[in-house]
Amino acid sequence: MSATHIIGVFDSKHDLLAGIEGAQSKNITIEEIYTPYPVMEAMDALKRKSRFTTAAFIYGAAAVVGVLSFLYWTSVIDWPINYGGKPTNAFPSFIIITLVLTILTVTIMSLFTFSVRARIYPGKKYFLPDERSTDDKFIVLFDKKTAGAGFEAISSTLKANGASEVYEKEF
Amino acid sequence: MYKAEVRGPLILGNKDYRQITSDIIAPIDNKTPGWWKVAMAVAVTMASIGFFALYYTVRYGIGTWAVNNSVAWGWEIINFVWWIGIGHAGTAFSIFLLILRQKWRTSINRAAEAMTVFAVGCAAIFPAIHMGRVWLAFFIFPYPNTRGPLWVNFNSPLFWDFIAISAYLLISASFWYFGMVPDFASIRDRAKTKIKKAIYGALAFGWTGSTKEWLRYEGLSYVLGGIAAVLVVSVHSIVSTDFATSVIPGWHTTLFPPYFVVGAIFSGFAMVMTLMIVIRKYYHLEDYVTDSHLNAIGKILVFISLIMGTAYGTEVFMSWYSGNPYEMFTFFHNRITGDYSFMFWAMVICNAIIPQLMWSKKVRSNITALFIISLIINLGMWYERFNIVVTSLAKDYLPSSWTTYSPTWVEICIYLGTIGIFTIGVLFFFRFIPMIAISEVKSVLKPTEITEKH
Repeated sequence: MSATHIIGVFDSKHDLLAGIEGAQSKNITIEEIYTPYPVMEAMDALKRKSRFTTAAFIYGAAAVVGVLSFLYWTSVIDWPINYGGKPTNAFPSFIIITLVLTILTVTIMSLFTFSVRARIYPGKKYFLPDERSTDDKFIVLFDKKTAGAGFEAISSTLKANGASEVYEKEF
Repeated sequence: MYKAEVRGPLILGNKDYRQITSDIIAPIDNKTPGWWKVAMAVAVTMASIGFFALYYTVRYGIGTWAVNNSVAWGWEIINFVWWIGIGHAGTAFSIFLLILRQKWRTSINRAAEAMTVFAVGCAAIFPAIHMGRVWLAFFIFPYPNTRGPLWVNFNSPLFWDFIAISAYLLISASFWYFGMVPDFASIRDRAKTKIKKAIYGALAFGWTGSTKEWLRYEGLSYVLGGIAAVLVVSVHSIVSTDFATSVIPGWHTTLFPPYFVVGAIFSGFAMVMTLMIVIRKYYHLEDYVTDSHLNAIGKILVFISLIMGTAYGTEVFMSWYSGNPYEMFTFFHNRITGDYSFMFWAMVICNAIIPQLMWSKKVRSNITALFIISLIINLGMWYERFNIVVTSLAKDYLPSSWTTYSPTWVEICIYLGTIGIFTIGVLFFFRFIPMIAISEVKSVLKPTEITEKH
């Protein structure tokens, strides 16, 4: 179902941040911001938080336990080999392979997590409110129903803070 | 009050965002240049020769090489270590400089990462083919099998190497690819033809540049960056333990891991310098890869060269100081003098002496000089690996098994082939992929350049 959206276009990060501040000071709800490069302040303004690093730490911790258990199982339980009477659980020499396999696991799991959470995957159907946002424009998107203000109010606020263009679009 | 600008603008020419996109994707939009076609023809010829030599090896066996009972590791391991070393630069460049927040990396990291992926791919050919029966290479995977199940030796540096390099290849390739996703989206949204839009659209994985995507993208970059920094150090440390855990004179030393890691970064940075000079010259990207960038790489190379010189000196000193006659023989009679003394001195001159020229600002700002020095360093690093591998093996404890080693045409052709494969990869990269990270470069435009307009 399509809805009416209001799109604010900015030429620079500096203007974008002023525009976001202006809109939020008037309690206008921003739906999403599209930028040609990562703008941390924009993510903060929308209170976007990521638990990516926590997830990566959990993957790493699980991998360490998993790999060490696997090594113990192969070397001690499944197929113990007697190297001149040395202990079969040769823990110190397991450290390097554990480190490397942990890195491998964290890499694969992080890529998978990124793909799922950011919804970036081959063949994905996407929609861009304004195609210039991957080039040189900073786009602020408002849903007319939930923004908490009308087109005129949003347009005047954004333009007062440096927006180069404000328009409505149905999608 | 003392006031100095730490670093000038990273991008010259007062560009705006649109100009940056246009400049960087121009090589993709323009016609294929003539020099590119010539270079590709040469590279394909070299790769074909290499593939023939690989076929010959598989068809007739390792007996077609000059390796023997004493020098069991010849050019193949030298070339393996050399390529892995070159492959270190991409990640070293991208990741160390990313976690150290060095913004000047943005113009160079993409090319360095591309180089890493191709170089590690070339490196992987050598241990696989050295197995002899390459069709049994899958035996090295630790999976429940019908051979017992007999597990691989998890305590062997050779197995660590296999896992480390596989992880390195995966992490470098994914770091490189996901770095390109926003740039593919830029190309997609500016494409004028349907085919181009479809191809780059597919490559862009539906990227839109929303805050949700950028947030996770940044998370992924830092997680991969953080763990890859550990991996860079551990991969080459592990390669060095392939040597250092043996009891061969000249190899049995605790100096090896840092010596190998620094050496790898040295050769990689030199290769980055070579590539960046080519890119900036042939694609007119002087505004992005500025003299200041090359100057910075030059300074890093001088610093690493000093470490290399210290390592060479330390090895020789420790062989004398240990009083071990076998170590002393290897260093004083089989490296500094003897059959392979040329390799030793070539290594010292290329890696420890010639790079010192870059102390001079005049040399660091002379592009031709930098290009030549970067090639010399890569040659020197090849000599270093020859020096390590062959001299220690040719004459060890038992004089009756002493021998000399020089490669056969098959070994030389395999090496040429990998250079061809690497060049093909790099040329495709030049032609179809944005050579500079568009979104990252946009983020380092000086704030003043934008705000001045208001």
